[in-house]
Order: sequence, then C-alpha cells, then structure tokens
Amino acid sequence: MKARLIAVVIAVLVFVPAAYSAGRTAHTAKRAHAGTTIVVYASGDVNVQQLWQNNIIPHFEKENPGYYIKFVFSPHGADDGTTLARIGAAVKGRHWPGIDLVDAGLVTTMALDGLDQPVSKATAPNLKKVNPALLVPVKGAAIPYRGSSVVLAYNSDHVKSPPKSLADLLTWIKANPGKFTYNSPNTGGSGYSFAETVVDSSISAADLKQMDDGYVPNLENEWSTGLATLHGLTKYVYQGVYPNGNAAILTLLAQGQIWMAPVWSDQSLTALSTGQLGPNIKLAQISDPPFTGGAAYLGVPKTAKHKKALYKFVNYILSPEAQQMIVNVMSGFPAIDIKYMGSAIQQKFEDVSANTLRPTFSTKMGNDFKAQWQQTVP
Amino acid sequence: MVLPPVAVVAVFIGFPVGAAIAYTLGKTGGPNSTVALIAQRQHVARHGVTLAAYREVLGNSHVRGDLWATVWVTLLTIGVVVVLSWAIGLYVRLSDSWIARTVSALSVIPLFIPVVIASYAILTFYAAQGFIKTLAYQAGWHSFPTLGYTMWAVVIGEIWVNVPFGVLMMSSGLNAVPNALIEAARDSGASLPRTVRSVLIPMNVIPTVIVATFTGIYVLGSFTVPYLTGPSAPNLLGVSMSQFFQSFNQPQQAEVMAMIVFVLAVGLGAVYVWANMRAARRASQIS
Repeated sequence: MKARLIAVVIAVLVFVPAAYSAGRTAHTAKRAHAGTTIVVYASGDVNVQQLWQNNIIPHFEKENPGYYIKFVFSPHGADDGTTLARIGAAVKGRHWPGIDLVDAGLVTTMALDGLDQPVSKATAPNLKKVNPALLVPVKGAAIPYRGSSVVLAYNSDHVKSPPKSLADLLTWIKANPGKFTYNSPNTGGSGYSFAETVVDSSISAADLKQMDDGYVPNLENEWSTGLATLHGLTKYVYQGVYPNGNAAILTLLAQGQIWMAPVWSDQSLTALSTGQLGPNIKLAQISDPPFTGGAAYLGVPKTAKHKKALYKFVNYILSPEAQQMIVNVMSGFPAIDIKYMGSAIQQKFEDVSANTLRPTFSTKMGNDFKAQWQQTVP
Repeated sequence: MVLPPVAVVAVFIGFPVGAAIAYTLGKTGGPNSTVALIAQRQHVARHGVTLAAYREVLGNSHVRGDLWATVWVTLLTIGVVVVLSWAIGLYVRLSDSWIARTVSALSVIPLFIPVVIASYAILTFYAAQGFIKTLAYQAGWHSFPTLGYTMWAVVIGEIWVNVPFGVLMMSSGLNAVPNALIEAARDSGASLPRTVRSVLIPMNVIPTVIVATFTGIYVLGSFTVPYLTGPSAPNLLGVSMSQFFQSFNQPQQAEVMAMIVFVLAVGLGAVYVWANMRAARRASQIS
C-alpha cells in the first residue's frame, strides 16, 4: 500500500510538470499542417506580444499560404535564462533547439557567443534598408528589427522649460532635489540609458566606439569620472532611491511624485495614449550627448530548421508594411531607414528626434557597467 | 522501497547542487560547460579547485553590506514573527470570544494574497504619498518617515508574509496542550503569566523552533519583497544574487552567494534538528 502510494506520488511529481509544459507549448501551436511551421520565441511586455500575435504573424500567414508561425511568449523575459541555456546546449550538440527565431535581450548574447546564424542581404534583401551601424555591435549575427530611444519625460505643470542638454539636466536635478530619479540600470533600459549617457560624456569618441563594438575590459576605468558624477546625484534623487523597472518610474511620474525622468519613447507614448500618463507629461530629447537608443534584435539559432522559410519571414518583418505595424502598435520606430517609410512617419518622430539612435555599450560591456553602477552609485 | 524517492532527490536536487558547487570552485567542464560558455568574469581552475570566486565575492564590500543586511533583517523578522504569532496564538488559545476568532482568521489572510500584490500594496501604503504618511501628517506629525524603499518596508513585508504560517503553527501547538494541565496549574494557584511560562512555553518549544527556522530560511532566500520594496543598496542577498545572475551575467558569483545563503540556512536547519532530537530524547526518557 505504502509502496503504491510512493509510486503514485513520484509519477505525479514527474509527469504533471512535464504534461503542463508540453500542454503550454501545444497551446500556442498551430495544429499539424502540410506547410512549414516556424517557431518564434519572444519576450517582453504585452506590447511586444501584441505586435507579434495580432499583427506581424497573422498578416504574414495570410500573405504566405502554407507558412505557419508557432508563437511562444515569455512575459518580462522570465524564461530568457533557460531559453538561452537551451539554445546554447542545442547548438553545441548540433540539434534543433525547438526555436527558430528569437526576439529577446538574449539575442545579442547569442550573437557574440557564436550561437547565431548570420543573416545576409542575399537571404533577406530588406536587410540593406537597415542602418549598417546597428549590425556592428552584434558582429552582423543578429537582425535589428525595431528601435526605441530614451527620452526625457517632464511634468509641464512644474517644469516650464525643460533642460536642453545633459549639463542643463544635471544642473536642474541639483536645483530640484527629490524631483528626479531613474530606474536602476540593471532593471530597465531607460535608467541604464541615463547612467550610460552621463558616463559617456567624459569618454573620448574613439574609446566609446570600442566600448560599443566589442568587449574591452581594460577601458572600464574610464567610467570612474561619470560614475562619481552619478554617485554625487544620489542625494538629490527622489528619496535617494533608484526604483526597479521602467514601469516604476512611469508610476512615480504619473503620481506627480517626481517631475522629470528618463523614459523609453515607445513605452511612454503608449502610456500617454492610454491615459496612464496624464496630458501634463511631455517628452523631449536632450543633446550633448543625447540619450542612447536601442535596437531590438532578432536572432536565428545556428541549428534552426526551415532556414529558407525563416529568411522569408525575416525579410517580411523588415518590409515597410511590417515596420509600419511596429509604429502603429507599440509606438516603436522602424529599424529600416525612415526614408523608406511614408512622410507621416517622418513627421511623427520629429518631435522626439528619435532618428538619432545613439548606440549603446555592447552587451558584455553593458553587463560590467551595470555591475559597476551597483557597486558605486547607490 | 526507499530507493525511488532517493533517486528523484538525487537526480533533481543532488545533481544540480553538485554541479553548482563544482562551478563555484572553478570547474567549468561537463554539466557547467553551457553556463561557462556565456558567463563573464568567471574564475576557472585549470588543475584542482580554486577559491578565487569566493575570495572575490567575500572581498567585495558591497556584497558584505548585503550579507549584513540579510542577517539583521532575518533575525529581526524571526524575532517579530515569533513574538507576534505567540501573542496571537496565546490569545486565541485562552480566549474564546468572537474577537479572538476574528483576529486569528484575519492573521491568516496574507497566506491567500500573492506576494507580488502584497509587496506593491505595502510599497504604496508606506510611500511618500501613502496612507500612513498622510494619516500622520493629518494628525500633525509632519516629519513622519517615509518607509517605502527602505529596509523597514522590507522587514514589514517579510513579517506580513510570514505571520500566517507562524500563527497556524503556534495555534495548533498551543491547542495540543491539554486543558487539564492549564486548569491544574491555575487550581494550584499559578497566575496566568506563571501558567504560560511553566506550562505553555515548555509544551510549545517545537512549533516555536519550526516557526523561527522556517521564517529565517524563507527570508534568507526571499526575492520579491526586497526587490519591490527595498532600497537600491544594500539590499538582501536574494536581490543581489539575481542581479549578478541576470543583469551582470556573472552566474559564478551568483552561485557563490547562493552557497553563502545555503550555509546560513544550514545553520538555522541545525537548530531545528537539534530541537527535534532533544524533544525525541525527552520523550523516550519519559516513556
């Protein structure tokens, strides 16, 4: 009796999670068709999910009968770590990782560690419309497909003339203690961008380029000036705290607890249109230097299946039609040069001057930068 | 018939733990080769083992700050949770009024609220524009401290999360004390405090130790509460661990921190085992 009980308990422990995860994968799958099925893994917020699930994928499938996309979504990148390990192990063992296309922060890591299959202009012709500078930090092994930049959000009830340059911004922060903060760089790109921008302002252009394009740990001591400036700001930021996550900053702005903060352009434009941020919140870009922007990259694991179909899909994502969806759905901005888009798009991005996508540190430099920030600033 | 569970434990727990220990000692081959392929700033032992990763982590003054924060938050939470759950358990045991029943029901409610939601609620409740501060301001206390984003918010959150389990354990432990013993003590003229001290406390040692150790182990490994409500630095090791693992891409250092937490938790576990063995020994002496 006892033996049977133990056996049942073990069976339940082993099979229930297995069946659950299998069921979860099957849930998003299209049932077996005669055509080709591509598996896409994406992570991020609901806006990313909407972009894929309700826009890019149905349009592609409609225009290309016989091609099916199986979509796997990981909210806030909760499964990114395990997915990276899974792809890494599969590529090392030369078998299919179960994923053909990845849209997540881990793509840049994959690209630099040689887990990505480079996509060329020959296989996806629309790649020639993409700014080639975006391909350098990933060694050409990942495909930039959308971008967003960081802008300065301010409460126009209290701030009549927002700072125009980084130096003005730093002066404003000290003149208005407790009314500015940014999220900790390791928890979101908007705070990261502010921190990097301050540090960048004291680094020579040549060294900065090296930091953007590769991993040069021996240049990291040049960060100390900027990090000291940032540390000096701690007594002026809201409660001396750097909240965790981009969204926490938007909440503080919306509540009027802070009057100014760096925010993602796409996230804040969406928040403004849904009313999460009131009409008194305005966006502006600074100069000298401007905040960094970032491209979101797609990656193809080296051992992906159906490469031909995959390139067709990638090419579609880089078409002006699909890029238009990125603008409409998530207020992101196109990865292809704006001149390929309509004039309405060009106007839309003029006021946040978002087409100055200032490049950011390469992934590994960025990881070290986050670590040093955490050690020195708060 | 003990073999299948042992096998499950060995495969699903023993093996990953073994691999992680080997990785912290600089062994990057075999099961660690995938993580080692991606990680940054790792210490690799060419021959034998190296303690370089431990030296780096323990030599980092910020990690030590996080360690002390973890220790004092854990001890304070254990203390408050034990006292609170004892008080509630005792009140429910000795009083049969509707207030006592309501208090015991209310104290268990946090068990049914997800920790993420609770953390956000605590953060807003104690924030600069939160309820508590507004109330204090209305009452004329203008300098009332803002607790949101401080270690105090973390302590409040940890207590909030752990009190229900404490109350459940203490009430069941106290309910197991026969009424006859309490009445006998009262009949021989013992006051209520004396009855508690000489009858209830000695009869309720094991539940108390369980509450203390389990609360401690929970706080040592907690992430959500300190991540959402705590300050930027220093914070609990659970938060630093995830930063090192995910944001800084330094899994080896994160695993070293996990080992530190493991050692602290083993310390608490030892207290639990000692208390159980002591109780078992006493039980065998009586019979």
